[in-house]
Amino acid sequence: MIAWRGAAEPSIPAHQQPALVLAFARSRDAADSALLRGTGLDPLAGPGALVAPAQYLDLLANALRALDSPDTSFMLGQQLLPGHDGAPSNALVQAPTLREALAILCRWHARLTPLLRPRFETWDGMAALYWVDSHGAPGLRPALVEMHMTAVVALCRWLGGERLPWRFCFNRAAPRHVEQHHVHLGSALRFDCQFDAMLIEPEWLDRPWPRGSALAAALALRAAEGEPERPAGLLAALYDYLLERVRMAPVLERTASDFGVSPATLKRQLARHGTHFQAELDQVRTHVALWMFHAQGADNEAVARYLGFHDAANFRRSFKRWTGLTPLSLRSGLAG
Amino acid sequence: MAVACTLLALPYAAAGTAKPLHTWKWFDVASEGGTALAAAAWCLIVLGSRPDGRVTRLLAAGFVSIMLGSWADCMDEFFAIGKAALWDNALEALVPLGMAILTAGMVCWRQEQACLTEHLKKRERLFRDHRAFDRVTQLADARYLRAQLERERGACALVLLDIDGFHRINREHGQAEGDRVLQAVSHMLLLNLRSDDLLCRYAGDRFAVLMPGLPEAAARNAAQHLCAMVAMMRHHAATGEVALTLRHSCAQADAVPGRTPDMVLADLCRQVDAA
Repeated sequence: MIAWRGAAEPSIPAHQQPALVLAFARSRDAADSALLRGTGLDPLAGPGALVAPAQYLDLLANALRALDSPDTSFMLGQQLLPGHDGAPSNALVQAPTLREALAILCRWHARLTPLLRPRFETWDGMAALYWVDSHGAPGLRPALVEMHMTAVVALCRWLGGERLPWRFCFNRAAPRHVEQHHVHLGSALRFDCQFDAMLIEPEWLDRPWPRGSALAAALALRAAEGEPERPAGLLAALYDYLLERVRMAPVLERTASDFGVSPATLKRQLARHGTHFQAELDQVRTHVALWMFHAQGADNEAVARYLGFHDAANFRRSFKRWTGLTPLSLRSGLAG
Repeated sequence: MAVACTLLALPYAAAGTAKPLHTWKWFDVASEGGTALAAAAWCLIVLGSRPDGRVTRLLAAGFVSIMLGSWADCMDEFFAIGKAALWDNALEALVPLGMAILTAGMVCWRQEQACLTEHLKKRERLFRDHRAFDRVTQLADARYLRAQLERERGACALVLLDIDGFHRINREHGQAEGDRVLQAVSHMLLLNLRSDDLLCRYAGDRFAVLMPGLPEAAARNAAQHLCAMVAMMRHHAATGEVALTLRHSCAQADAVPGRTPDMVLADLCRQVDAA
């Protein structure tokens, strides 16, 4: 059975990321009443208190609204990593290379970045870190992406001692506040992509980092493995599950039983996370198709065959429904 | 003020004879008493919203004296005073005196405003929009800069300035110290600009200077001067001295058809990233 955690279950230590958001907003003169409204959070909770992801998301939404400044998500991102979550955070600080740091981040995402799930892919000539939802928050998604991308950029710049030549793709239209992206992320930006990803040439992955120590990182990771596991968010777990089975036409009933719940419960849970089963499956298939176009130079025929479509025309229609674009126009967009 | 009004009512009560209720003119009571109350409120607003100083004192004194004069006038409605009593007329003369003081205060205020406008000129240029100001540095933001670039008709140059290793200051000294660095650098830059130049906080640790009427070479020279001035600065953080240096990029930003301000800014950002 697959371990997962719903957005309403308390699982994030209150003194970590939620406290950080609260402290930052207070330092920018936001009132507690505006920040805590509707979150059900207790600002005086003891050190062991846990916060539900849904509450943390409400707190973030309140902070973004109260501060009403385009740099809020970026400033929060600056402080997000390595975080203060014991062994995984220690391992991250000691990471000897970029590849190692990204591996730690992806392995321990439930503790290091509980709201968004990073996934790391490499293929010839390119490495990509892309972000999928853990708990779903459609309205906050752009701010969350800005925050987490800034966190990784800032962490790598700090540990690596230099600015890395990342390129960025965003699943959104170009925003008004693009200057914040320029300064906090970099100038290689592309909007209106179908995914939120950071790309980098693979030769940067294995350069040794000045303050890294492979031994210390390995020790910290061993300590982390010994601690009780924190399950991934429902949407992150579902993404992993669907990606593994994308060629086998996964269905709701079978998925629900693999997740240890009834189909009705899974449906209700997904609705609570602002989505539904077909949307999640379509997202995974879109990402696989884009990856095949991009990494393997595959054509419609090949992708249709891989994803189990009858023919390319059928795939083309479905793809148009998922993304609003035809595979051809999207491929030419990626190449440009 | 309440004490002054009570004291002022005393001689009327002592020297005058109370008018019977049916002879009171309610309209006069309302208008004169209302003027006194309004003047009191204006006085409190001025004292509450302005820093102490000559202008504030003049304005407040003007309002106080108008208030007392109208109050004395209002007392007339309740008490009959003999025609021979001059002190009563003298008290009522406080109204025109107050107006004179208020006028003097307004003139001084105008001079003060001219000074402030001169001081703000490098920050706002041509038009004022208080929403477009950054809360940390009190400088205009990128949105305001784009609006200015779109309005710009003649030759002008644009310079971007980035603080080296600012992320390290934030990590090692905390964001509050980072904010103080931004404020210190923005002051240093302002002191070294012409009064026609506009300084903006583009985003994060990146500043933009719009230099109207300058060719690119002169702007590059000015940018180098700004970098040199900031490099001479000493910033004292709580944990010791922090060395500050800038890198810059510079371009001509004249209105060329087909080249939007966004494109100019994106080009400059690429340059400063590579610098």
